[in-house]
Amino acid sequence: MKTLVIISHPDILESGSQQFLLNAVPKEGVTVHHLETAYPDGKINVEKEHQLLETHDRIIFQFPFYWYSSPAFLKQWQDEVLVEGFAHGKAGGRLVGKEFGLIFMLGVHEREYQAGGRELFTISELTRPFQAVAHKTGMIYLRPLTVYQFAYMNDEEKMDLYIQYQQKLTNKNDSSLAAREDWMVEQINKLDTKDLEPEAADILKHAAELMTTNRTTIDELQVVMDQMW
Amino acid sequence: MEKNEWILGELDRLFIEQKDFRHLALIKAARDIIKEQDKRIWQMEGELDGTLWSPKRWDE
Repeated sequence: MKTLVIISHPDILESGSQQFLLNAVPKEGVTVHHLETAYPDGKINVEKEHQLLETHDRIIFQFPFYWYSSPAFLKQWQDEVLVEGFAHGKAGGRLVGKEFGLIFMLGVHEREYQAGGRELFTISELTRPFQAVAHKTGMIYLRPLTVYQFAYMNDEEKMDLYIQYQQKLTNKNDSSLAAREDWMVEQINKLDTKDLEPEAADILKHAAELMTTNRTTIDELQVVMDQMW
Repeated sequence: MEKNEWILGELDRLFIEQKDFRHLALIKAARDIIKEQDKRIWQMEGELDGTLWSPKRWDE
């Protein structure tokens, strides 16, 4: 699977959260495309964007949440790139079946995005226009990865985010425990052990083996339970 | 499960010794998954045990 991460941020070098996520981008299978860097004059090469979209299976929009939406340049990108004849309409449909997801950062606490909260509306409500784009273009809308108040996160929360981000870019569209196990075993097996002590590499390999054994145990227990009912 | 307890201890030790953030994130995630698996196995075995010993099944 090839993933295209389309980032819109007017000042990406100064953004701690964006720099953190850029460092987490896996080496293989992911193309990062920062719009403001690619088009400093604001003139979008639509043909090039169409090629990028067509050669990837999962499209991610990554941005800071500005006034309940993306920065203006990402809206401009949508207006100019997702045109009739390419993204929709009788001669369009070139994005059908691809996956589409959002990764965005918010400065407000998660609890405020609900009825009774200061922001009143849920993230699902506020991101309706993006969901409608996915619907109209025939793409599969993924659960968003929302990063609340990055500046207040502790080290362990950042570690969780690091992994969740990589999974959002490279794991299949399945957040079950079994899918996360498969992804983790794969990561451990392809770990570059050169910058890891042999003992540490051995422990991680052993952990991966145990995850696979545990999965067999869980599946067998499930079969027995299914037979009992 | 004893094997899970042992590896969780080893991963905890590794987590304290490591300095590289990428490795720390991976070790923590591996530890979290094994903890979740261990809990799930424990719950399923408990449920199975409870079902086998249920009075509803004594007539069978």
